[in-house]
Amino acid sequence: MSNTDQDGARMNRRRVLQGLGAAGALSIAGCTGNGGNSEGSDGSGGSGGANQLKMALVKSPLEFDPVVLNDVPSDQVAQNIFEALYSYDESTGIVPNIATGEPEVSREGKRYVVEMTDKATFQNGDPVTAEDVKYSFEAPVKEETENASEVNMVDSITAVDETTVQFDLKYPYGAFDTALAGRDIVPKSVRENDKKAFNTKKPVGSGPFEFVEWQEGNFVRIKRYEDYWGDPKPKIDGIEFVPVEESTTRVTTLRNGENDVIEEIPPKQYSTVRNMGDASIDEVPGVGYFYLAFNCKEGPTTDPKVREAVDYCVDMDQAVKNYVEPTGVRQYSPLPKAVAEDWGMPLDQWKQIPHKRDTEQAKQLFDEAGVDSNYNWKIIVPPDDKREQIGVSVSNGLKEAGFNNVSVQRLDWGAFLDKYVSGKESDYNMYTLGWSGSPDPDAFTYYMFGRDENTLGVTNGTYYGDNSENGKRVHELFMQARQSTDREERKQLYVEGITTALEDRAHLPAYNLKNSFGVKNYVKDFASHPVDSFHIASDHNNVSLEK
Amino acid sequence: MSRLRYAAGRLLQSIPVVLGVITITFLLTDAIPGDPVSIMLGPSPSAQQAAAIRAKFGLDQPLHVRYVNYLIDVIRLDFGQSLYYGVPVTQKILERLPVTLLLLVSSFTFALVTAVPLGVISAKRRNKPTDHVSRIVALFGVSTPSFWIGLMLIILFAYKIRLFPATDLVMPWAHPSAVDGASTQLEVVLTALHHLVLPTITLGTLQMAAFTRIERSSMLEVLGQEYVKLARAYGVSEGKILRKHAFRNAQLPLITIVGLQLTQALGGAVLTETVFSINGMGRLIITAINNQDYLLVMGTTLMFGVVFVVGVIVTDLSYAYVDPRVSYDDTD
Repeated sequence: MSNTDQDGARMNRRRVLQGLGAAGALSIAGCTGNGGNSEGSDGSGGSGGANQLKMALVKSPLEFDPVVLNDVPSDQVAQNIFEALYSYDESTGIVPNIATGEPEVSREGKRYVVEMTDKATFQNGDPVTAEDVKYSFEAPVKEETENASEVNMVDSITAVDETTVQFDLKYPYGAFDTALAGRDIVPKSVRENDKKAFNTKKPVGSGPFEFVEWQEGNFVRIKRYEDYWGDPKPKIDGIEFVPVEESTTRVTTLRNGENDVIEEIPPKQYSTVRNMGDASIDEVPGVGYFYLAFNCKEGPTTDPKVREAVDYCVDMDQAVKNYVEPTGVRQYSPLPKAVAEDWGMPLDQWKQIPHKRDTEQAKQLFDEAGVDSNYNWKIIVPPDDKREQIGVSVSNGLKEAGFNNVSVQRLDWGAFLDKYVSGKESDYNMYTLGWSGSPDPDAFTYYMFGRDENTLGVTNGTYYGDNSENGKRVHELFMQARQSTDREERKQLYVEGITTALEDRAHLPAYNLKNSFGVKNYVKDFASHPVDSFHIASDHNNVSLEK
Repeated sequence: MSRLRYAAGRLLQSIPVVLGVITITFLLTDAIPGDPVSIMLGPSPSAQQAAAIRAKFGLDQPLHVRYVNYLIDVIRLDFGQSLYYGVPVTQKILERLPVTLLLLVSSFTFALVTAVPLGVISAKRRNKPTDHVSRIVALFGVSTPSFWIGLMLIILFAYKIRLFPATDLVMPWAHPSAVDGASTQLEVVLTALHHLVLPTITLGTLQMAAFTRIERSSMLEVLGQEYVKLARAYGVSEGKILRKHAFRNAQLPLITIVGLQLTQALGGAVLTETVFSINGMGRLIITAINNQDYLLVMGTTLMFGVVFVVGVIVTDLSYAYVDPRVSYDDTD
């Protein structure tokens, strides 16, 4: 295995760990399907207009070139301008987009051949060719962009003919279909002509909307592309995205009609939005995972008994109910519900693994493990209220179990990211964190429990397996699973690996956040999406305004 | 000429101040735990990728080399490349500074226009109900955080009454085609003013309160002076005493405090811009800090420092306009 192999599931910190409600919009909105009609556009691309959707995002996009962009807001906008070979259906299923069918897999999962439609065109009229696909997958690695790791499992790409592209991988990679769905196709000639302009002034894709204007921090405007090759054509003329970071202000702009849709409703504002009368909340659990993790390298938490005792100290159901709902849901395994259900994972079995809170049982286990009551427990948490509260709940449980020296340190991102992978007892016994990625079990297992150079001390701060054979076994199972293309075999490997890790309590799974949107009632058919954050015009929805 | 010479002298004196700002900010930024590259690239960058980014932004150099390089660049007015935005820091500052300056000018105007009459009336009607009201307003303004005022104004005027918008501040100099519902420049200006009302009150309330208190006490002091008593003895009307003799003399302390309030206002701008989604220097500095974009942190901090230094110099120079006795000659 290559030492640089990381897949599309790898989310950057801006995307994931900082816990934006919109979990990784890794791929492009599905824009295939049928139905829908097209209406005339004023073509001006200006703001406002009766048939223009105005949408408040939490943050401003930074750029639009899919080769380089690496943050959620940029993806949220770019996914309307660009398309990938495959897209997501209304959930986590992958459906052909520019591709005409499923990829043909051969050479034991190391070769993928994709047939493309000859109808697809970019917004400058040029056809989408195999050469453009090859370029779109190769450019991130060649240019060492921030998102290069999403495609660097690819060894070589061949444009067999105008509409056939062949991917040869460095190793069999079971989750490659998510990489195919996550990589947007850019026109080689346009981008090569002026990369800077392509990124911020005139991005050109093959999607249903074309770029109009961007003022960083103020707005981005896109308008319907009248000659869009696919179906459905958007019903709305265009969209203006504006960033509104302050949540109260965001909700106010929904109420007074400054915006038609707003992203991310904070927990305390749910009832406000629901009581507005002319708006509702459209939400779906994202593809994410928030958890408490143990230091299995140094300190008392290397002992599974101690980890089990900590489990006895905290009522995670209650903590999630108190501090996360209604913006999130309880999660009992590393796999987000949509992924787990899609794979038919034993969710009921995993739900039984966490203990009910029992301080006496916890004390007994701490005694058996010989943990001194004067031990200085250190829990580190990132600057996020929800994850801090999970840490505080554990800390309260430990105090009730007779430990007086328990600290919960809320660190800035920079400090936290440096510390949580050190494996040092002096840095942490436990940490709370979040992860998000493509909707494949690999994204939530390899990076969390992997013990190779790409994960141990990089994304895996637990060092689970340093003091136990179970941890090493779990790593091997997950490695086997990611290198297999047999779905049933992968499933069995994941079930065994995840069950072992849960019973061993390398993590205590906590919750998953929802992608939530406040939507005015006159906005019809808006669809929040677990992977893409939201869909505007796709095979399952087409937003219209009925003011 | 003496005033020009004085101004030049003050500007020269400000160089060590600016140098101090640069040095302290540079060292503090470097001391912040964490790595900007890991924030940029995420938790699992390849070593090669991280090294490439470090080399690109000069982060692989030792501290003293980076410091000297930075100083040389600043002299050339080059603040480097923002790690987060990927564009020159100067470009971001030039985009954002006018917005914050507009906010500062409008809030100080609001503060002065309300505080001066309030202070004068308060002093004139000392210990009367008007004075009590004015003092309560001032106390409220001084003791209330601006973000709270902002949120309350939004809830009341944008959410409940829907009289003013909560976001989307447009610049009065924006082109009419870029502004929703505007076809002439006048309409753009009116839209801008409409959007400016709530942020202005939010940021200006603290200033207004401080100015009111200073104006009141300063007026009281002047009104108790011998020459005012003499004027009264001569039978000069109270109104004339206020307008002709007391008012101008009472403004010196106010001018001093206006300059000093700039620091508070710049801090308040950070909160106000966040609450109202205004794309100014305040939000820029927050983004820079959150992403450990050290060149942007230094660029914005330096710009805040420069705005403050210039503000204080302008304050000093304006003394002479108010009080002819103030001279900038070296012999003074």
